[in-house]
Amino acid sequence: MLTLENVYIARDHAPIIAPVSETINAGEVLALMGASGVGKSSLLAYLSGTLPSGLTGHGEVTLDHLTIQDLPIEKRQLGLLQQSPLLFNHLTVEENLLFAYKSPESRFLRKKDIRSKLVEIGLEGLEHQLPQHLSGGQQARLALLRTLLAKPKALLLDEPFSKLDHSLRIEMRELVLDAIQKTQVPTILVTHDQEDADVMATRVYNLRPI
Amino acid sequence: MGFLGVFLPSFGIDPAAGSEDFTFTAWKQLFHAAEFWSGLSLSLFVGVVSTALSYWIATSLVIACFGSRWFDRLNTFIAPILSIPHVAISIGLIFLISPSGWLVRWFSPWLTGFERPPNWLIVQDPQGWSMILALVMKETPYLVFAMMAALSQLDARSRIQTAKILGHSTISAWHGTLLGPLYRLVRLPIMIVLAFSMTVVDVAMIIGPNTPSTLAVTLLRWFNDPSLILRGQASAAAIVLAGSVVVMMLLWEACYFIYDKLRKYVTLSGDGITYAEPLTWFGALVGSGVFLLTALTLMVLPIWAFAHRWRFPDTWPSLFSLNTISRLGQRLFELSLSSLSLALVSGFLALLISLVLLERERCFLQSKLVTTMMLFTVLMPQITLLFGIQVGLLWVGWNGNWWSVLLLHLIYVLPYVYLTLKAPYLAFDERILQQANLLKNSPIKNYLLIKLPLLKVSLSAAFALGFAVSMAQYLPTIMSGEGRINTLTTEAVARASSGDRKLVSSLALIQAFLPLICFYLATVVPKHWTTWRVALRRKFC
Repeated sequence: MLTLENVYIARDHAPIIAPVSETINAGEVLALMGASGVGKSSLLAYLSGTLPSGLTGHGEVTLDHLTIQDLPIEKRQLGLLQQSPLLFNHLTVEENLLFAYKSPESRFLRKKDIRSKLVEIGLEGLEHQLPQHLSGGQQARLALLRTLLAKPKALLLDEPFSKLDHSLRIEMRELVLDAIQKTQVPTILVTHDQEDADVMATRVYNLRPI
Repeated sequence: MGFLGVFLPSFGIDPAAGSEDFTFTAWKQLFHAAEFWSGLSLSLFVGVVSTALSYWIATSLVIACFGSRWFDRLNTFIAPILSIPHVAISIGLIFLISPSGWLVRWFSPWLTGFERPPNWLIVQDPQGWSMILALVMKETPYLVFAMMAALSQLDARSRIQTAKILGHSTISAWHGTLLGPLYRLVRLPIMIVLAFSMTVVDVAMIIGPNTPSTLAVTLLRWFNDPSLILRGQASAAAIVLAGSVVVMMLLWEACYFIYDKLRKYVTLSGDGITYAEPLTWFGALVGSGVFLLTALTLMVLPIWAFAHRWRFPDTWPSLFSLNTISRLGQRLFELSLSSLSLALVSGFLALLISLVLLERERCFLQSKLVTTMMLFTVLMPQITLLFGIQVGLLWVGWNGNWWSVLLLHLIYVLPYVYLTLKAPYLAFDERILQQANLLKNSPIKNYLLIKLPLLKVSLSAAFALGFAVSMAQYLPTIMSGEGRINTLTTEAVARASSGDRKLVSSLALIQAFLPLICFYLATVVPKHWTTWRVALRRKFC
């Protein structure tokens, strides 16, 4: 369960959005909508700990009853998918996944698991390819799988489908929804697209500027 | 030509020495000389250790400062150090760490009990540690500078953030996502540091061991032997030195390859990388210490230059005066003029030649030949190339004058100016010049009045670097000047062991000061030039 309690973003100590108080339960998707530039992505950046300098975030964020807003990024146990897949181009597909797959299991078992997951998302046989040699859709699927392998306790989706064409968008939405249902993680989706919200969201929250 | 000039004499073919028979005598002599083996091992040790330490410290500092306000401060702090010659740093370091140096004075006699300087062998130690320290002080800022430039091409911030969101610590994120690609971008600067550290002469003469010396210093002595008997042996040693640079570069790459594989294996293991954390923070701490030492080194130079009386163990001089400067005023002025004229002319000529070469590259095929030649000059030991070139100059009877010194300075200034200017020059948006040519059909005038002024920041940075490189040249000056042309650098090296600290510090101070001024002007003036020009025009028109 992900809870936001009076969360807002400020620039030079002046709030730029109205405080948000929401609880997202396991398997739920909260769509965060609002005018362009209102601060939707900044809110996600505050939750993930990647807020750029010049902006400050306020309010309490709890994940499974643990307050996380002051924790280092790597301890928050959140997954973040953005417009750009942000894959590591010097690592192969398999190495990108191994990097995220932290587990006491042996390397052999982790590799075996990765191969079966690659088959599930239609990337079989591509484990030794470099990410830049994959198509846009393949890269998006790889980024999703990498995020899930890190076993996040909540997912933050920052317009992850906006760069994809219509058919890929539908395919990715299904994949992500399927993953959310399987893992039952609370999810926040930032989107401009009403169709994304209609298909994926349990609830819609309209972010208002101040 | 440079290489042939040492290759042929090493096999007995040396018309200058009256020998034209092909023999292996020089090589046999070389391999039987005990000094050769000890000098070679010392050169390898100093070169590899100083490069490895500089790389470790630079990487640790960049990791520790990245993403904080210290990162910009680091940039501001290291930029001026880059322009200060090695010789000035080495001399300052001697005044700081020697048994009668500033550091011992701070703690004497109240803590150490020393009323006289202790009999410690700190500088010119047989293992070369003081030389390694001097090299680390100068090379670490250079590598940090190169890494900072490279990081801007790597989208470093988002790589680190992505890795951290995936659960990795900062250090693990760096090792997993950035250090590999970063190394590929800073490989050339690292190789330059390795080649330089193995073959440097001036630093080794000032602060390096002398029983025995490094191979570069030993073979310089052999070359300068008046009997000419050792000339063939020196040529053979120069070839060995060049060969060992190539071998060490290959070995370094092989070691890095293995290290990179190991690092990747650990990073992709279940827990990510954890062992590197204390090593990185310790490296950053050592780096801060090195910077502090550099700052103190630069502070002690003016203190000695203006000291009238400074007895051991006083922390500060009991009397300051301008006596040294005024006593040596005429000599210092002549040396400064000599250094300045060479640096200004070689810097300007290098800029001009670079512009012609780059314009040619832009208009026609982008040939790799010019860049390869420039890299060859930078990476090959100065001593190997210069001896060959000197032999060539002697053959044509053109040595020992200002022009021959200028030529040799230019050979070393040009690669740095060209390589610095290449990226910004080729990235210039040519549509601006095309537009100017459409408006006014005078291409040369437009090139001079539109393109060059728009590139003024890069042009002045390249010139300042060329100026600093020329100011620091020791070997090219003594080899082609034959003692008739002296500069601040040659005089500082020659006087370093004289014991006249006031004179040596004055020389080192001016030697450090001139490139600093040039660097400052090159940084500040171009940025404000247009504003000043417009303001002046408004005032007078």
